[in-house]
Amino acid sequence: MKDFDLEGLGREMPYKMPEHFLDDMTERVVAQIAKQQHKQHRERRIIALFASAASVAAVALLFLHPFGGRLDIPSYESISQCASVDEVLQNMTAEELGVYSMMSNYYGN
Amino acid sequence: MKRDQSDIVNNQGSLSVSDESIARLLCDDNHVEEAVRLIMKKYGEPLYWHIRRMVVAHDDAEDCLQETMINVYKYRSTYSNEYPLSSWLYKIATNESLKLLKNRSGFTLSVDDLGDSLKDSVREEAAPDADETLILLQEAIALLPAKQKMVFNLRYYDDKSYEEIHQIVGDSVNTLKTNYHYAVQKIKDYILEHQL
Repeated sequence: MKDFDLEGLGREMPYKMPEHFLDDMTERVVAQIAKQQHKQHRERRIIALFASAASVAAVALLFLHPFGGRLDIPSYESISQCASVDEVLQNMTAEELGVYSMMSNYYGN
Repeated sequence: MKRDQSDIVNNQGSLSVSDESIARLLCDDNHVEEAVRLIMKKYGEPLYWHIRRMVVAHDDAEDCLQETMINVYKYRSTYSNEYPLSSWLYKIATNESLKLLKNRSGFTLSVDDLGDSLKDSVREEAAPDADETLILLQEAIALLPAKQKMVFNLRYYDDKSYEEIHQIVGDSVNTLKTNYHYAVQKIKDYILEHQL
């Protein structure tokens, strides 16, 4: 069986690379990267904008409610000024009274 | 940005920048474009041929090279000085080539099943005046399993050491040597069988 020297074949390729291919490719890649960089910068700017808006809001809240906000729970005094149950019952129509007595019976007063 | 003293001006008058300087430029947002241009100037051609030997068709090699360079930009922060820049670039290019072949083979076939169709592409893609033995050599390479093909190409065409191929492919040096040995044997057999 005859043998041959692989090294003797050389490193040449049977294909051709189109002229200016690498220069064109470089420009295309650089343009695509520039586009991605621009997009990233815009995203970073938006995030920075939101972050600074949130910080401003937090600082403003701190100034408006320096010791923390309170829940809007009515005080005992304001509740005591409400009309008494008897007063409310007196102003009810016969129909409303019927419903009220039914509910009272159902829930055991 | 200052460059290393190892950056030298070659006899064509263009600046030959060290890999360390290119890597540093690549990690600097203000110099990415410069780094990409330098990579394309220094490694564009070897990367193109490395990819082309894997995927055969020029159009596919074009897509893979473009994707390789975009990935170089996207994943530049993952580059570690532990390995040479060229190994990192070849690794990305190899992965992109394998990805393209995997997409081509679909779900049912493996990359290694594409041998016959890649072999047919060799003759279609060859220049009209191409040497017949060179075409046979490329056909033989196209028929190799992907791993053997990668190792053979990196060793034979790119003159990479087994240590460098290990950095690119990931297998142990002994496995790579075995792959190369089998690849050479298969190529010799194919050429002897088909040579006029």
